[in-house]
Amino acid sequence: MEQYKLFINGKFVDAASGKTFESINPGTEAPIATVAQAGKADAEAAIAAARKAFDRGDWSGLTPSARIAKIQDFADQIAQQGLRLAATESMDSGQIIGLATFGPIQGVGLLRNLSLLAATKFPWEEEIPVSGNAFAPGREFIRREPIGVCVGIIPWNFPMTMAFWKIAPALIMGNTIVLKPASVTPLSALIIAEAAKAAGIPDGVLNVIPGPGGELGNILCTHPDVDKIAFTGSTEVGREIMRMASATVKKVTLELGGKSANIILDDADMDLAVEGAVFGTFFHQGQICESGTRVLVSSKIYDEFLGKMKKRAEAIRIGYQMDPTSHMGPLVSKQQLATVERYVKLGKEEGAELITGGKRVEVKGVKGGFYYAPTIFANVNNKMRIAQEEIFGPVVCVIKYDSDEEAVAIANDSIYGLGGGVFSSNTARAERLARGVRTGTMWINNYHIFADFCPFGGYKQSGVGRELGLAGLNEYTQVKRIHVSALADHKTNMSFQLLSDYKKVDGFGYNCPTAVIAGHGALISIYKAIADLGCRRALILTDPGVRKAGLAQLVKDSLVDFCVGIYDNVPSDPDLEAVDAATAVARELKADCIVSVGGGSVIDTAKGVCVTLKNGGKANDHLNFLVLTEPQTPHIAIPTTAGTGSEVTSIAVLTSKGAGRKLFIVDARIMPNVAILDPRFTMSLPKELTASTAMDAMTHAIEAVTSIMANQICDGLALHAIRLINENLPLVVADGRNEKARLTMQIAATMAGWAFTIAQVGLAHGMAHTIGTLHHVPHGAACGIVLPKVMRYNVDHAADKLVLVAQALGVNTAGMEERDAALAAADAVEALMKKVGHPMRLRDVGVPEENLAICAFHALADTADLFNARPVSDPNEVLQIYTQAY
Amino acid sequence: MEREISIVKLEPGVSQAIRSFLADKGIQQPIRIDLNFSGCCDSSLCLRADTVLETDLTLELDGLTFVINPETHQLVGEVTISYVDEMGRKGFVLTSSKPVSEWDGFGVSDIKI
Repeated sequence: MEQYKLFINGKFVDAASGKTFESINPGTEAPIATVAQAGKADAEAAIAAARKAFDRGDWSGLTPSARIAKIQDFADQIAQQGLRLAATESMDSGQIIGLATFGPIQGVGLLRNLSLLAATKFPWEEEIPVSGNAFAPGREFIRREPIGVCVGIIPWNFPMTMAFWKIAPALIMGNTIVLKPASVTPLSALIIAEAAKAAGIPDGVLNVIPGPGGELGNILCTHPDVDKIAFTGSTEVGREIMRMASATVKKVTLELGGKSANIILDDADMDLAVEGAVFGTFFHQGQICESGTRVLVSSKIYDEFLGKMKKRAEAIRIGYQMDPTSHMGPLVSKQQLATVERYVKLGKEEGAELITGGKRVEVKGVKGGFYYAPTIFANVNNKMRIAQEEIFGPVVCVIKYDSDEEAVAIANDSIYGLGGGVFSSNTARAERLARGVRTGTMWINNYHIFADFCPFGGYKQSGVGRELGLAGLNEYTQVKRIHVSALADHKTNMSFQLLSDYKKVDGFGYNCPTAVIAGHGALISIYKAIADLGCRRALILTDPGVRKAGLAQLVKDSLVDFCVGIYDNVPSDPDLEAVDAATAVARELKADCIVSVGGGSVIDTAKGVCVTLKNGGKANDHLNFLVLTEPQTPHIAIPTTAGTGSEVTSIAVLTSKGAGRKLFIVDARIMPNVAILDPRFTMSLPKELTASTAMDAMTHAIEAVTSIMANQICDGLALHAIRLINENLPLVVADGRNEKARLTMQIAATMAGWAFTIAQVGLAHGMAHTIGTLHHVPHGAACGIVLPKVMRYNVDHAADKLVLVAQALGVNTAGMEERDAALAAADAVEALMKKVGHPMRLRDVGVPEENLAICAFHALADTADLFNARPVSDPNEVLQIYTQAY
Repeated sequence: MEREISIVKLEPGVSQAIRSFLADKGIQQPIRIDLNFSGCCDSSLCLRADTVLETDLTLELDGLTFVINPETHQLVGEVTISYVDEMGRKGFVLTSSKPVSEWDGFGVSDIKI
């Protein structure tokens, strides 16, 4: 009789206790080998060897392409041991020889396929081009790294295959492993260990320790040096392993029991379905977790199907497993035989109808053995124990159903969800059912089909995690995220500043790629601009007022043949639905470019359309910060106001009814490609709108200067914009046809836009957004009213900057205290507003006093507040400002 | 036919735990020691509140009635029941003089109804 030893740290050794046990041939009940029986000391030695091997790095530290060479050597050694493995497996486990011979072939294939997958397709490192954190720029990537010491615990039904399923992914992904085979079938795993040794797999990387599960399980599943447990076996043991592993938070994958449904539809090919049901339940004596042991048959074909299945089952030849003519061999042990008999007895007691089988079988010429006949129960109710509990033998329940929906409901009426099948001549119908069954694998017109690149695992109490394929390899790695900051200066790091009194952000990036074309008659340049963008189908977005003024038509004429239509239904304060409506038109017209002609509402809508058109879905899908990775639908903006600066900014402000507030798309990739500043487009703007939109621009400029994100480039742009607005706003209010002043105001608004799109705005904008959302006050007017009050609120946090603002506003600050000069800036803003007839108080624009407190709470949640010079967190302070402005 | 035979041994605290369980559920039934298959490969022993069948072996112990079918008894021998409630592990642990699998006594179970 052959003798097998434990394989620990690259050596075959006796158990520390000297104990051995016999492995039995289930086909004859005769012992075929003595095997060293591992105990606590051996398990600890194996874990120590695996730990040392992993930490040593001569396996875990190899590149995947270096490991593949060793795995190929391992596969070659398996191939050399193929015949021995197959014969031993058959004798040890009861697998018919015709099945066992596939084992080594599949093992070689698995080692080669998975190692190739790991070396060529597995995402060991992945860039994260967009991190989702707009405040911490840097390179983001993940590495997948081996977990460490893995424990594999495998069952007796497919001892060789299960050994490969555990060893191959663990080793290929750089881990080490301690494998515990089932005590009744330990031999093939030890032969695999011989092959690994011969292939030069480093000592300790693979260890194999047969021994009693109860004793070894306690050590393997609780030892602090074990990092992961992969178990295939019973749900009861798996549940206990999970509990044990939780003490040291080990990674756990479990492949557990099943009671899978094989659904036979009324349109199935009868012969195919019968063969599928027979193979699905009696293959390897039914000792397979995913067996389709509940055959659900349409009532329309039930009787015919049952008759054919009975006939087919009775034709299965039961014999000694090494006899190549045998279809079915023995069960694995007398305990398994007793369990099957117990369930068959129970089925009869429960009232199921035994159609065939239900008895032991004696094999001619063979003494002993645990043979059992293929057994079919009909008229089974799915609530019966034989339909709910896994039997793990050649016993099948045939259950009748009346509709596809009922079949799915019965299939799902189980604590398990491992496998399942559908037989139908209508693939679409079969796939609909397959989608409805809550299980890890569904086969259509087939059963028990595995493939190296296809994942296997369970839903519900059938398990956790997956084996095989990329998903299976993933289970043997852990993810490490690496962030490499792009910020070298701690004063640029907004997160660090949470623990600091220094709130300003010093460093900055400036990226404003919009091409600006400005001047008398600048519109004419649009014909070249659209050609330069490679576009031929521009859709003009505008609002009814602008269209009525003839401005949209002016643009259409300039586009000659490159315009597919004018959409003039953009509302003021656009919401997401407005974007979706415009996008639908753009899609219908197959627009390849958007030309926005209007104020901020139109241009922001156009930005939303460009993103939605490019990326699909609805506008609500795209309310994100800095997530776009490629150019969007080309956009040419022609502002008809001198205020928002939206023609050059990276922000679109859109009202979300769901959120009850204005939300944003913020991304450098939504900056329009071209902005055309043609004074003709603002010359018909009424005085009130001229003033309020200008105050929007003024607020952009002043808040950009005082923002915690302020920088020298933006300061230059903003301060000059303030100067230009202060000088030219009175001129255009006095004479709207003053073309030079109108153009200057447009340029000033654009410069302010460039300033704030990098430096951001502050509390005045947060408060104005609120008033606009809750009380429909025009944005520019709201900005103007609260701006001087916010400037005074900020005075002790941005006095130096406000002094510059005062000077830009024409205040002679010579001889003034810094604080007084700063406050003078607010006074100058108010003076300008009075001069141009801008509303001065919230009551003038219809905001009810009793709503100011609600406004304060609302404004406190606005993103713009984050960048305000003075930290904003107290609603009472915001309420005070609103009250001052009232 | 009812025969008194040593089919089960109770560790301290078990009978009280069983009585409490039955009282909680409001049932008064014998406890069957049964073979159970909880999926993929290894059968185990379990307890089940059940009726007595004519062929069963029975034993009165601590005021409780235990039953087992003769084939199962022949397979597993005398069954020892203990009760654990420690570190998240709570329930009955069954071991037998002739173990049904290498995982005997590893898992815990409730009484199935």
